[in-house]
Amino acid sequence: MYLPRASKIIAGFVLAGIVGLAVYFLPAVQSASTASVGTGPISIPVPNPLPSTTGPFTVLLLGSDDDAKFPQDRVNTQSMILVRVDPSTKQATMLSVPRDLWVSIPGQGFGKISTAYQTGGPNAAVAAVESNFKVHIDDYVWIGLEGLVRLVNDLGGVDMLVTNPVMDDFYPSDINTTDPYGYYRVAVLPGAVHLDGVHALQYVRSRHGDLRGDFARSERQQQLLMAIKAKAAHLTAADFPGIASAMQGELKTTIGLARMRLLFSMGGDFTGSNVRRIVLLPPYTTEGFAGGQDVVYPNWGQILPVVHQSFP
Amino acid sequence: MSAIDARPAHSVAARAAVSMGLIAAMLVFGIGVYQAAALFKGAKTDIRRPTAATTGALPGTMYVVQHGAIYRFDRGSFHQITSEDGWMQPAISVDGTRLVAVKRALNRSDLYVLRTTGQAILQLTHNQSATVEANHWAFYPRFGPDGSVVYFSYDAKDPYNTFRVDLAIFAASAENPAAPGIQWTEPNQYTGGDVSPIPLQKGGLIFTKFSIDDQSNVHSQVWLQARRGSAGVALTKPADDCGQPAITADETLLAMVCRHGGLQADDLEVVSLQGATLGVPTVVVQDQLVASPIFSPDAKLLAYLAPAGDAGPFQLWTVRVGAAGAPAPRRITSNLDLDPSSPPAWTSP
Repeated sequence: MYLPRASKIIAGFVLAGIVGLAVYFLPAVQSASTASVGTGPISIPVPNPLPSTTGPFTVLLLGSDDDAKFPQDRVNTQSMILVRVDPSTKQATMLSVPRDLWVSIPGQGFGKISTAYQTGGPNAAVAAVESNFKVHIDDYVWIGLEGLVRLVNDLGGVDMLVTNPVMDDFYPSDINTTDPYGYYRVAVLPGAVHLDGVHALQYVRSRHGDLRGDFARSERQQQLLMAIKAKAAHLTAADFPGIASAMQGELKTTIGLARMRLLFSMGGDFTGSNVRRIVLLPPYTTEGFAGGQDVVYPNWGQILPVVHQSFP
Repeated sequence: MSAIDARPAHSVAARAAVSMGLIAAMLVFGIGVYQAAALFKGAKTDIRRPTAATTGALPGTMYVVQHGAIYRFDRGSFHQITSEDGWMQPAISVDGTRLVAVKRALNRSDLYVLRTTGQAILQLTHNQSATVEANHWAFYPRFGPDGSVVYFSYDAKDPYNTFRVDLAIFAASAENPAAPGIQWTEPNQYTGGDVSPIPLQKGGLIFTKFSIDDQSNVHSQVWLQARRGSAGVALTKPADDCGQPAITADETLLAMVCRHGGLQADDLEVVSLQGATLGVPTVVVQDQLVASPIFSPDAKLLAYLAPAGDAGPFQLWTVRVGAAGAPAPRRITSNLDLDPSSPPAWTSP
């Protein structure tokens, strides 16, 4: 095709600009369209893809202590939150799965549900939750400690209401340290706060000084999730590249581009009243001892009816 | 032979040079677009030091905290009075001559008495230990009515429960660090404890007490305790989840922040105070992130910290107290990142 010389030059500059934009936005496109972000060795296919991205869907959120104490990808899931999102009604339900829940893990026998990931990766964690809770999981998101810190920092921090002083004299000092078995003291003071990544992690990870132990931590994790969703409502396309590239293997997901966009666009819709939060405190669970360790026994007769009100 | 081939060699060289120049310019342009995209994202955050901010004026003198430094705010200007070194929660003596503030470090925090110019003149607590868990916290200091005693939250150790870290309110001399502190309140175990003490003129304290109910829900209540070691009485209901109390100098009005079970927004409420009885609360700011209210010395204004929009770094706001109708809050700052856990200290000129 013949173009006048001036047009060729202009087209050249336009092309250069497009390439510049494409290079900048490439990480976001890759992150949202591939199963695994960053340099992690795992690349897992979508377990149960749905034909539509606008219908209700269920996501299993997994969080791991992936510090130097553990071999890479041989980690437990310290946090497991099942999330049901209905874009049409703008309703969401979050159910925290106790990490010490004593269940039958497919192919492994009985154990704490948090250990499923250690032996079989995210697919095993998904399978353990699906088989015990009798639910269908469409996607998963796994995030490591540093991934959460980076995510919150890249969002510009999160805004939370700290309900009571979160005090911990034995908070693990296992990020950016030569001694992953060290610890330090944490005091997150009550009231409205603007938390950066490190302090948000302290808030959701600390458990020693709270009467409710791991259950309190589960509640705070759900609270952080809502704060992240609220913050995501302020994101623009220009924010995605930084967030995606910051993860560096600390985030793995099967969520596709269309559903990711949907979740981000809905961020501001979740204001609290349309989010149902479930923590499996007694009588849904009881504390006990099995396999030489403290565990949490499920009361499935109580749990499953509640679960199936929100999760198919 | 083609027409191009027929051109002189120097003409071909010149064209090649121009082409190379254009390609280089295009490359630079593309890189510029990339940089501009990154700059566009980064331009969203524009936090300034208070000393670089332009603000409206307020009556009297106020002390606020940003990034571990205390700033004095008077006649519309901020003056940094301490370095950025973990300083937080300044409180002013009734006569306006001294500050007491927290200096926080890794694993511990200590109380200092400072001149209003920011010079530390006395370290009241020595909470440092080589053993991590043997360090102590001291937060929320307030001078007593005569300035001789400081009330504050402190984590006394429980020798039988290593993991228990609950703040209790203590009283200690503001002049003699060697004098032992006296425990005033008994916190509910494993709740985080008692915080935000406000000494009353006739003795007694108003503060925030936390509890966990049978359904494992956390509650906060504004609490009144007349004497050291007494049980005290709740001024608010558990379900209202109120805390961060502030009172007027004549102790007839109480401001507090109530979240009513919410986790993403709270209310700022003002209520009349008569002994252990509260009146009907007036909600002056509703369903926002609100923190750390403080009355002006003349009780006509209530200052508080809240984001400029529905989220983000905290700014200084004021709202008229007792005005007819629903007075509109006035935002005093716009580009700061004030510490929301540090209530402003506000005194007469």
